[in-house]
Amino acid sequence: MDPIREAELLMTRRQLIGRSTLGIGTAALSRLLGLGGLTTLAGLAEGQSRGFPNFAPKAKRVIFLFMSGGPSHLDLWDYKPKLHDQFNLDLPDQVRRGQRVTTMTSGQTRFPIAPSVYKFNRHDNNAEGIWVSELLPHTAEVVKELCVVKSMWTDTINHDPATTFMQTGSPLPGRPSMGAWISYGLGSMNEDLPTYIVLHSKVSSNKPNQAVYPRLWGTGFLPSEYQGVALRSAGDPVLFLKDPEGLDRTTRRKMLDTVGALNQQQLEASGDPEIAARIKQYELAFRLQTSVPGLMDLSKETPETFELYGKDAHEPGTFASNCLLARRMVQSGVRFIQIFHRGWDLHSDLTVDIPSQAKDVDQGCAALIKDLKRTGLLDETLVVWAGEFGRTVYCQGPLSQTNYGRDHHPRAFTIWMAGGGVKPGIVYGQTDDYGYNIVDKDGGIIDPSIDEFTPGAVHIHDLQATILNQLGIDHTKLTYRYQGRDFRLTDVHGHVVKDLLL
Amino acid sequence: MKVGLPLLAASVGFVAWAAQPGQTGGPTVSYDREVLPILSQKCFKCHGPDAGTAAAGLRLDSFDLATKDGAVVPGSPEKSLLIKRTSAHEMPPPDSGGKPLSAAQIDVLSRWIKQGAKYEKHWSYVPPVMQSLPKVSDPAWCKNALDKFVMAKLDAEGLTPEPLADKNTLALRAAETLTGLPPTKAELNSYLKDAQSGSYERYVDRLLAKPAYGEHMARYWLDAVRYGDTHGLQLDNERGVFPYRDWVVRAYNQDLPFDKFVTWQMAGDLLPNPTTEQRIATGYVRMNITTNEGGAIAEEFLARNTFDRVDTTSTVMLGLTVQCAKCHDHKYDPVKQSDYYGLYAFFNSTKDAPLDGNILLPPPFVKAATPEDEAHLLALGSQLTALRGKVDAAQAAAYFDSHKAPVPTAKDWQISLVNTFKSFDEAFDTASPGEPGQNGITRWTPFSYSPGQPAAGIVGKDNSSVYVRGTLHLEKAGRVGLGVSSDDGVKVWLNGKLIHSNKTSRGVDQAIDQVTADLRAGDNELVVKIVNGAGPDGMNIRIGSPDAKRIADALAAHAKGDDAGLKSAYLELGPETTDATRYRSIAKQKADYEAAIPMSLTAEEMDKPRPTFILKRGQYDQPGDKVVRHLPAAWGAWPKEAPMNRLGLARWLVSPQNPLVSRVFVNRMWQQHFGTGIVKTVEDFGSQGEWPMNQPLLDYLATRFQQDGWSMKKLNRLIVTSAAFRQVARADKTKLGKDPENRLLSRGPRFRLDAEAIRDKALFASGLLLQKVGGHGFKTYQPDGIWEGASDPASSTHFYTRDKDQQIYRRSLYMFWKRTAPPPAMITFDAPLRDTCVVRRSVTNTPLQALTTLNETTFLEASRVMAQRVMATAPDDPTRLKVAFETAFSRPANTAETKLLADALTAFKLRYVNDPGAADQLVKVGDAAQAKVASYEEVAAWMLLCSTLMNTDEFLTQH
Repeated sequence: MDPIREAELLMTRRQLIGRSTLGIGTAALSRLLGLGGLTTLAGLAEGQSRGFPNFAPKAKRVIFLFMSGGPSHLDLWDYKPKLHDQFNLDLPDQVRRGQRVTTMTSGQTRFPIAPSVYKFNRHDNNAEGIWVSELLPHTAEVVKELCVVKSMWTDTINHDPATTFMQTGSPLPGRPSMGAWISYGLGSMNEDLPTYIVLHSKVSSNKPNQAVYPRLWGTGFLPSEYQGVALRSAGDPVLFLKDPEGLDRTTRRKMLDTVGALNQQQLEASGDPEIAARIKQYELAFRLQTSVPGLMDLSKETPETFELYGKDAHEPGTFASNCLLARRMVQSGVRFIQIFHRGWDLHSDLTVDIPSQAKDVDQGCAALIKDLKRTGLLDETLVVWAGEFGRTVYCQGPLSQTNYGRDHHPRAFTIWMAGGGVKPGIVYGQTDDYGYNIVDKDGGIIDPSIDEFTPGAVHIHDLQATILNQLGIDHTKLTYRYQGRDFRLTDVHGHVVKDLLL
Repeated sequence: MKVGLPLLAASVGFVAWAAQPGQTGGPTVSYDREVLPILSQKCFKCHGPDAGTAAAGLRLDSFDLATKDGAVVPGSPEKSLLIKRTSAHEMPPPDSGGKPLSAAQIDVLSRWIKQGAKYEKHWSYVPPVMQSLPKVSDPAWCKNALDKFVMAKLDAEGLTPEPLADKNTLALRAAETLTGLPPTKAELNSYLKDAQSGSYERYVDRLLAKPAYGEHMARYWLDAVRYGDTHGLQLDNERGVFPYRDWVVRAYNQDLPFDKFVTWQMAGDLLPNPTTEQRIATGYVRMNITTNEGGAIAEEFLARNTFDRVDTTSTVMLGLTVQCAKCHDHKYDPVKQSDYYGLYAFFNSTKDAPLDGNILLPPPFVKAATPEDEAHLLALGSQLTALRGKVDAAQAAAYFDSHKAPVPTAKDWQISLVNTFKSFDEAFDTASPGEPGQNGITRWTPFSYSPGQPAAGIVGKDNSSVYVRGTLHLEKAGRVGLGVSSDDGVKVWLNGKLIHSNKTSRGVDQAIDQVTADLRAGDNELVVKIVNGAGPDGMNIRIGSPDAKRIADALAAHAKGDDAGLKSAYLELGPETTDATRYRSIAKQKADYEAAIPMSLTAEEMDKPRPTFILKRGQYDQPGDKVVRHLPAAWGAWPKEAPMNRLGLARWLVSPQNPLVSRVFVNRMWQQHFGTGIVKTVEDFGSQGEWPMNQPLLDYLATRFQQDGWSMKKLNRLIVTSAAFRQVARADKTKLGKDPENRLLSRGPRFRLDAEAIRDKALFASGLLLQKVGGHGFKTYQPDGIWEGASDPASSTHFYTRDKDQQIYRRSLYMFWKRTAPPPAMITFDAPLRDTCVVRRSVTNTPLQALTTLNETTFLEASRVMAQRVMATAPDDPTRLKVAFETAFSRPANTAETKLLADALTAFKLRYVNDPGAADQLVKVGDAAQAKVASYEEVAAWMLLCSTLMNTDEFLTQH
């Protein structure tokens, strides 16, 4: 164990135990969960220490960049030069192997190959180098920091279940999101901001977008204080944060003091510790009214920083602006930051839309990595870039030399991670010449199983286990008893992919 | 988990348990209460009911299996391998992640074995029996039978209950728990003034009779059945099922017995001659979230929908969690995988398609007339019948014979070749061979066509046209109506003359163009050009006006002796007599009334059930052995003569031999009134769930509920008139120590109100609350972008357009519930999303909640309107303060409170007198009209005062 971290851990424990003797209302103060540094205090006071991290963490926090809709690995990351000779040829049966396809293409009489029209360039990383599409020029500059996984796979083939699976570990609604699990297990690192923040990004393309909804950052059966707080780029960043016009801070203070005094009387009369918690919550709300606008205010950021993130970063709600906010949140002690970017579901006219999709996110991603690196935060911040699945090598709809569409493909797709104790500058796993099946180094098809870890392939549950591992959480131990069963993010599956880790 | 070494193989590390005295003595160990939780948590994962994973062939879940190889040797813990291996910390295997058993746990197992290792059925699988009332220390405290059980428990724990709370407190507590609203001033006063004994009981009866009672009760049920106004997945379009919600409200208000309440919902469609209400109730079966996402595979979603129905039914009705058995035999409870699919088979054969088509009303559905609607329509109908009875059929026939419009015959239909162009415009505008006036020659082929019927696919190509022609024959020249539908564009010629042209893009069912055709005597040539833009195409030509056809049909029926059609046609289309005018007016009223009745999704059983197979690992495409509908053996016997379908399942649920249903429901009712159930895990009565805190109390309630004819009102009355419910809600140090969560009921209930009750209470205090039962969900104030930012633009619920009238002041129960983006203020206060079954809401306390009640528009508007209302009632501040306080809390203020509020008011007034502009800004919130009661400076100060009251713990809490 890293001795400094060990000391940090010990110190936190001691502080917590010390503070838990404060007495009055500590059990009730526990309800502060999700906000404020007293989270874990509560657990201890109630004799229910959740005991996380249960080993020294490599990362203190996570930034998850979620590309909703399923980005095409074939046009961004998974270079398949041999396909150029196979334009419009049928996908060989020994590649598809009769596997299910969605009902959008199951009626097609042919599965013609659509090679990517985009140029790929080789970039040095810390291993054999990596080929990156011309659509991601900025991200290509930081590949020395990226741990690129080309052999992700998932169980589900439609958006709603696949997205829900990535975010909550189950294709069916009702489970807590990853961020909620992490908030529940680790609590907060700050006094004034939520533990788990969600940001939505504007999308340049006009294509219909898959919905993203509160269940993806919800708490399922966990107490709802662990849910993600979605910050909005227009209107109040946190719902109902702003006092109404005509109400100044002094008057608000006077009002809250009166509320507090009335509550104090009730506390004395009834002895209900929950009232003490409510008094505290109103104080926190008052502080949030200052801390959140402070967080959202980019005016103090330097011109160099804006240079790094690009001119989009001046416009609230863009992906670049959200990445910059994420860096600020990291500095303010937010534990889990989820940025959504939609519009990747390109069933047709892929070449019309993917350039703007890529442009939306490319510079922001690269800037975030560079910015975290230069501020010394990258080592302890895990950044993840992923969609819910990949896309098919065969064309959906009309195919021409310059345009094509691609259907959903759950059997292989590419994601990347950076910082937070993952190996920088490597590529893990590979697919066959069609980007269709995961294969071993000799090109033999790997049929990964959910039941046991299949080296070379990374299942969604493996990714989730690995993310928790970097935070110092054994994914089999972070459980919550509900309906008589111990639930966990990784269900009964998942293995930490050690090959990805430093 | 790695399969452990066989239990028999090793015996190292044996702990000398017998060396410790006293372990075999003491009271009898309960298998169910003490032993099962240990075995279930520590052993069953590998040695439990799941035969598929029984490690080393050992199972510990029954006497025979546990004793056959010496794992358990009755009477001899020292010989039992269970004790040896666990004491040696060999079991659970250290590498399994399971913690070793504690010394206390091993002691329990040892004593149990010493006492003979008796197995017994889990308590919740044994039907409840009527309990005799226990002796208590203070019978005078007890108000009814429930209190005997509560007090017996307190006596055993050395605690004394609190005295009854004062009348103001009780008035508010009972009103909030039964109706979700505070009492009106009149209700409060009449109770306060009633000095006779039984005043509280009478007050409770008045509350139970209010429509607000059913609305409040329904809310809990709707959480459990996951009611929502949208499909819940992907596009999340609106679905039409709110009449189901209104039926639930009605059922509570009419006190529909719970056995019927359950049966109608589970299987109303299978009852003999089901009423409309019984069919609406089957909306329960349809309530699962659905999708029609592009590319979705129907079989997969059939399985998911069915899983959802099975899991919800088992949680809501039985308090059991069966979903583990989807993939393997249940690890802890006696539900085999084949049992799971035995239940599944009850729910996988309804007529609704697995994919919802993204439409409002995926069939089947019913016109959801309420009994009042049906009575009203029946009354109108009999008025019409009476008027029809007065018509002389012969006179009517004579009238029509002289007035009937001609209906031509049509024959000799033919179709041309298809002509293809570069664009739709070109195809529409270009005259091709076959068009009147065009000289080219086309090849006409005979075309089998019946006027009035759609003909699809007659063009077959995009940007193309085709001509259809036929002969219309009429004896005498006359004017005839044609109804022309087309996909897409259409032109019509009569005898070479263009009589209609519509350059449009549409489906054949979308519109009927009305065209007038002046026919000559004899044969006429009709030519129709259909132009297809893209996709499907087709046409439909109706000949003769609908009225003419109706008259012709009526006359034909009359000729055969059936006058019904003729008489109504005569009143509607004949001469304008007094009767005819009345008839038309009533018929229109009836039609309008009928049209306004909403549809509601229902369940209907397929004629032939689908075959059911075990789905390996729960995967829809991996069918295993075939299974038939059946109950897990441990759940008890199927009622005699009950059919093997949902109706039979419902009959079993409410049969006296069912051990769970009544317990589960009374327990949830208890949770509503006390904040926590007698079994805290209201969703799990299985072996992993909590043991009841007071089982005699639970069983008494469960049996009494059935004896009282499953009356939910009687059940509620019994609970809220108990002394346990009526105690002072006050906790001292001793009680916080011995009974921290008030599970023993050593004091009155005190917990935060639910989201809906908080909003309703604010509206109620302001006087804005509109108490109108039922109807389409309303949309109130909501920050911009909540829907738009989260949903697909193609969704029917992408744009949020809020209502602008009184609707927005309705009770929160009726808020339009978009399941992927429910009203944010509700979610902040722990309302569930309603995409899955929730029988226990979490109750949190967060700063986001504080921000909501401080700043959300409804709350600010309510405080402003409450201020104006308070100011209108009295001219002076002290009286106003008294009114405001009592409106908010249903009790008078004490001196300290009055002083605090008076000080605050002074400060607020000073602030706004010095800055009238700020006051103008503050009070402008909300749609509600500004009552002209005082200057805006004064209103602003009072508004903040009312907001202060609404943000206190006392306002937000049921106490």
